[in-house]
Amino acid sequence: MDPDTTMVDPDEVLLRPMQRTGWKFWLFSAVMLAIWAFGMYEWTVQLRSGLQVTGLNVPVYWGLYITNFVFFIGISHAGTLISAILRLCKAEWRRPITRAAEVITVLVLFFGAGCVILDLGRPERALNVILYANGHSPLVWDVCSITVYLTGSLIYLYLPLIPDAAILRDRMPQRRWFYRIVALGYRGTPRQKKILETAISVMAVVVIPIAVSVHTVVSWVFAMTVQPMWHSTIFGPYFVVGAIFSGIAGILIAMAIVRKVYHLENYLKPVHFNNLGLLLLVMTLLWFYFTFAEYLTTYYGSEPDHMRIFTAKIHGQYAPLFWSMVLCCLVIPFCLLVTKRTRSSVWGCVTASVAVEIGMWLERYLIVVPSLSNPRLPRADVSYAPTLVEWSLLASFVAAFIFLYGLFTKVFPIVSIWEVKEGREKALSEVEERIREALPGITPDAPAVGPAERQRRDQRDAQPVLTPAS
Amino acid sequence: MTRWGMVIDLDRCTACQACVVACRVENNAPPSGPEFAHQGRDISWIRLGSIKHEEAGNRPGLSLAPLPCMHCENPPCVHVCPTHATTIDEEGMVAQVPARCIGCRYCTTACPYTVRQFNWRLGQWPAPLDQGRNPDVSIRPRGVVEKCTFCAHRLQRARDRARYEGRELEPDEYVPACVESCPAEAMFFGDLDDPHSEVARQAASPRAFRLMEELGTRPKVIYLSKGE
Amino acid sequence: MAFSRRGFLGAAAGAAAGTAFGLSRGRAMSRLIADLDFAVYPPGGPETFALSVCRECPGGCGTRVRCIGGRPVKLDGNPLHPVNAGRLCPKGQAALQALYHPDRILRPLRREGRRGDPDSFRPADWDEALAEIGVRLGLLRKQGRPEALGLLRGPDAGLDEALAGRFLAAFGSPNDLVQHGGSEAPALAAQASQGIRRAPVPDLGEADLVLSFAGDFLDCPDSPVLMTRAFGRFRRGRGGRRGRFIYAGSRESLTASAADEWVPIRPGSEGLLALGIASVIVAEGLYDRAFAIRHLAGFEDGPDGSPGLRRLLLTDFGLDRVSAATGVPVNWILRIAREFAAARPGLALGPRSGQQLAASLLGHLGAAVLNGLCGSIDVAGGVLTAGPGPLPAWPDLPDDPVAAAGRGRARLDRAAAGELAAADPGALAAAILAEEPYRLEALFVLGCDPAWVGPAPEAFAAAMAKVPLVVAFASLPDRTALLADWILPLPHALETWACHFGPADAAFPVVSLARPVLTEPLGDVRPAGEVFLELARRLGGPVAEALPWPGMPELIRDQIGRLFAARRGAIIGTAFDEAWVRLMERAGWWAPGYRSEEELWNRMLETGGWWDPFYDHQDWQRVLRTESGRFELRPDLIAELDRQAALRGAGRVEGEGAAGDGSLAVHLFEPLALAGGRGAHLPFLQEILDPDHQEKWETWAEIHPETAAELDIRDGEPVEVRSGQGSVLARARLTERVVPGLVALPVGQGVPHGNHWTPAADGNPCALLAPAREALTGLPDAAATRAGMVGRERRRMRQEA
Repeated sequence: MDPDTTMVDPDEVLLRPMQRTGWKFWLFSAVMLAIWAFGMYEWTVQLRSGLQVTGLNVPVYWGLYITNFVFFIGISHAGTLISAILRLCKAEWRRPITRAAEVITVLVLFFGAGCVILDLGRPERALNVILYANGHSPLVWDVCSITVYLTGSLIYLYLPLIPDAAILRDRMPQRRWFYRIVALGYRGTPRQKKILETAISVMAVVVIPIAVSVHTVVSWVFAMTVQPMWHSTIFGPYFVVGAIFSGIAGILIAMAIVRKVYHLENYLKPVHFNNLGLLLLVMTLLWFYFTFAEYLTTYYGSEPDHMRIFTAKIHGQYAPLFWSMVLCCLVIPFCLLVTKRTRSSVWGCVTASVAVEIGMWLERYLIVVPSLSNPRLPRADVSYAPTLVEWSLLASFVAAFIFLYGLFTKVFPIVSIWEVKEGREKALSEVEERIREALPGITPDAPAVGPAERQRRDQRDAQPVLTPAS
Repeated sequence: MTRWGMVIDLDRCTACQACVVACRVENNAPPSGPEFAHQGRDISWIRLGSIKHEEAGNRPGLSLAPLPCMHCENPPCVHVCPTHATTIDEEGMVAQVPARCIGCRYCTTACPYTVRQFNWRLGQWPAPLDQGRNPDVSIRPRGVVEKCTFCAHRLQRARDRARYEGRELEPDEYVPACVESCPAEAMFFGDLDDPHSEVARQAASPRAFRLMEELGTRPKVIYLSKGE
Repeated sequence: MAFSRRGFLGAAAGAAAGTAFGLSRGRAMSRLIADLDFAVYPPGGPETFALSVCRECPGGCGTRVRCIGGRPVKLDGNPLHPVNAGRLCPKGQAALQALYHPDRILRPLRREGRRGDPDSFRPADWDEALAEIGVRLGLLRKQGRPEALGLLRGPDAGLDEALAGRFLAAFGSPNDLVQHGGSEAPALAAQASQGIRRAPVPDLGEADLVLSFAGDFLDCPDSPVLMTRAFGRFRRGRGGRRGRFIYAGSRESLTASAADEWVPIRPGSEGLLALGIASVIVAEGLYDRAFAIRHLAGFEDGPDGSPGLRRLLLTDFGLDRVSAATGVPVNWILRIAREFAAARPGLALGPRSGQQLAASLLGHLGAAVLNGLCGSIDVAGGVLTAGPGPLPAWPDLPDDPVAAAGRGRARLDRAAAGELAAADPGALAAAILAEEPYRLEALFVLGCDPAWVGPAPEAFAAAMAKVPLVVAFASLPDRTALLADWILPLPHALETWACHFGPADAAFPVVSLARPVLTEPLGDVRPAGEVFLELARRLGGPVAEALPWPGMPELIRDQIGRLFAARRGAIIGTAFDEAWVRLMERAGWWAPGYRSEEELWNRMLETGGWWDPFYDHQDWQRVLRTESGRFELRPDLIAELDRQAALRGAGRVEGEGAAGDGSLAVHLFEPLALAGGRGAHLPFLQEILDPDHQEKWETWAEIHPETAAELDIRDGEPVEVRSGQGSVLARARLTERVVPGLVALPVGQGVPHGNHWTPAADGNPCALLAPAREALTGLPDAAATRAGMVGRERRRMRQEA
């Protein structure tokens, strides 16, 4: 490695995870893989004995697996959607966090789809969904939209990765062959840059409707049936809001961990937590709005079949879970995020996000299970308790996700180097240009802000980034 | 066109469950044993369920009614099945193709009558109990959904016999096992489109109602309410 | 750099190892493939149909058996059979599981070890069994003590059972005992009012209004199909005429839930309610005057000043008393009385909660009073009295002084001890234990399980230990069989010749006839009849002379010859045939469809049987066999029973004679699937025990939510129900289908020693019953049993704390 470049490059810290690996990573990998392997063993138990090893029964035909499916697909909205929206809005603070978010999307989508495979009585026949596809079935829509979303997200993750892969190819002696393949001969020529930027902006536009459609379709799996408290027009947007909600929480948690582990305090700064925290606050309120609307309509409709489920949730069998959900999805995040002090602190955001993730998982569970356990024709003695197999497969998926995420940070920079660089080099003038275009009374000679003020701001916002690493 | 349907007279029905056992014997439903039965996983294509009394016209409380597959004309299960493993044929019978089913159980959750069954395990017939199985009905493998077929294999047999004898199928040649067994003579089966059939006559009764008519599934199992 | 590849490899290896380890256990892969295989069809073969007779209950339905390659695969009703007309009940449908049951006893078993130990049996061959039993019986004859042989049989009315009775008579024992608790009280009531000791037959199908006093005729009749069919006809089978059905009882049974109205009453107050209703009918003059003048006795005061029923009802069964004692509002009683009196005909039914469980006499007398007052005696839709069937018909017994002397001794159960003495297995057990009036040396048990299902299971089990030779006929191991010295395996109905005589619920005689469907039985089994014929041969002398037939087919053939000689009835046939035969017989003609014995035999085998559909209504000389020739209302008896009940009630209040450590009344019932206690082994019946709670495979205890709240019991909780006699573990079910202060438990549930699917039962509800008996009749005093209920888990926790 060229010592000179190290000296000059301010983003050297971003390459460090790829260059050095300590015992902590090994320990982390071992633990995660052990959990994963245990889950896989439990899966073989299920493959051997069939779904009788789960707690599923009649009429609770769906349980933890479908809950996890909806939950994972929800989290997947973290990345692509958020990063695309922020990119389109030209929110410059997005630059250090987009990749961290996009990776979540791609990885978690695999696990979301995997949950459906786990749930199948005959996983080896899963391809029948394509071979004998029934266009009427929302599950087929799901397969299509998730496939498209996965492809789009992969491309959308990959495109901004190319310049970084090129940097790595040029800078890293190890694994050069690999980066060479990934970089696709990217040299940073103006033409290449232009193509890349066009592709990225096209994908950013394309991926948003896909992302919205994905969780809408997931919700339609439920809403297209006539089952009480599933058959609801609000479900599409409700699920999308929930998905973005849990997605943002997911990014915040990932950011905080990456920041801590790789010492990226200079890149992931309180302002990022503050901004995402604000977004999370907005989603908290939106989520509450949708939930409130959904439950209030049910309550006033007072249809007996719906009310049985409603009461089971509000003050029946599922009340502890329901009120925990309200606590986790509304009370905790709202209290923590409403004040700037806790919002812009890492612990505040992380606490709120963890609560939101738990709460959103509970929300999914409370959508799937109570409706099924209170069918229109009442049955005696219905109960559903997930078994060890189901829990361990959830743990296994979470562990595998975390491991793969960690692995990704060891192969590619989790903060996009070129985007940060580009931001430093070009964004400032671009922003200035945008403001000048948008606001009256500013001539090219008279800057929007005074030079002194501008310098002060520059120092405050950009100084750590601009200061060369000594 | 033939449109097979069933009428169940709740005023005659005594909830004896002969239909349940007859169905299980005819269709090779495996015996469950205590543990499996308590988990709510025993397979029975027709079972006794409580329906709302306003529908049955009974005195306050819940009323028991045999619940086979309703063979809806607008079947929610057929719409949601991702693989065309459940279909409705031109005679209105909702059928299940176990060999194609992937076991996603979307149909079971979409069915408002909860009459579809899932094979949580492979059926077990301790010897020599397996000797009594009906060769006309396949043993369902593990992990697939199954359901009441209106004993379509009996129709198949009756048709074959009629064809072999070079004649048309007579209306009374084919009834499902549950109807055949019913000691209260509360179940009728036949062609709803044939105005002369007993089942069409019964279905025209002022006491006739369909379960959850408001859902628009248009069941072909028609109940006759209790009382005058 | 290498780490990540290693990480990948590690991950892959971990997953692969996990998967491999998981799949490598046992023959996992091959089993996996077998599990996932599809389109497996059971082996096929040529399809044949054969006729047979169902023997899962005393009903004796005709069956049509579908066989594939000779294997029976489905039972359906024989469409021509008059009992079931092509229909079958769940027990009949499940009968194939009894044929193919993995626990079936396929060889004679001899007990070697301790009595009652299920592992103490050793397979034996028939010769050994018959030789030993024959020698032991021969010894009794030689000692001149033939009365020391007993036979306890269930309510089944087949030729095997009849032959067993004939064997006992020929052997010289009076102890041909029948355990049929459900028919004891109605038979006694008929004895009192009509002079005929036989349970009357309700003509349900023709009734206008049925008023059942806890008579569960749909749960546990002798023939479920006959009663259920009649119910269907009662409701909707007669054009626009729909029968109305009111049920009064403490538990909303299956029967009650089919009623238009369920009137909840205090436990044990059925008789009182019936008499209260009768009192209203009398007071308002709504009774059938013409019938009363012509056919009732005991209505008005006697010439000697003894009170007649009218006075008794008006003085002792006034509305206030009845309403207070039954918990039924006064205006309800009035309304029901008026409705019942207005119905033509109204049919009142006395209590019945099982084939094996006896009810109180007062309830049946009350129902008889109502039927008598409203003229519902021997009319269509009223109470009929079945005449004697033509079979079994036996030649006279040979002259045999030993046997005659033996037959002259007293019976061991109380039946025949007095006009109204009921046959009681409890009394039998007591007599065996006390060796009074003589010692019982040998006992055959056929078609019942008195050590598990009956009024005194524990006493009977103890008594069995006193009998040196107990021979149980069984095809599945029940408790009585496991307490026996010999278990002789019975064939399934499909493996044997069948000659069965109609159910007690039918007013017409039926003879069902069928040859074996399976010519090769699944095991080394013999019908009970063959065993008795062989024993008779081995005993020789007059016994062999009385049973001269070489085998059951010959005996059956002989019986059909006697049927031909009876010159009545017809081959079973369609409804048109039935109407024709009725018409002819009413006109005094007998126009059989057969001309010779041979033809009768062949036609019976082709169609499934013979019957006599003709019923001559209002043949008073036949149905009223009392001294007065009238229908006796028996005010004396009613007053006495009421007085005794009051005394017992008072005794309980003071604490004397009260049994049990709790305050709950106990109601035992036989669910349809288990009625008579035979269904417990069959999985399909275990899985339909209760339609409401979806109870499966276990005993449950129904209790009203209010009572449960007092006892701090939650729904679904494992509880122990304990009376002074015993305890049973059950699952609590909170339901408003029982009245407060009552615990209701199903009988016949629980397989005492477990079976292929289920472990041994946790106690027996029958064991809760108190030994107290009604003084007058010897019928069990249901009100004497009181029980407490505690939650098991919480009690354990309390004990630990």
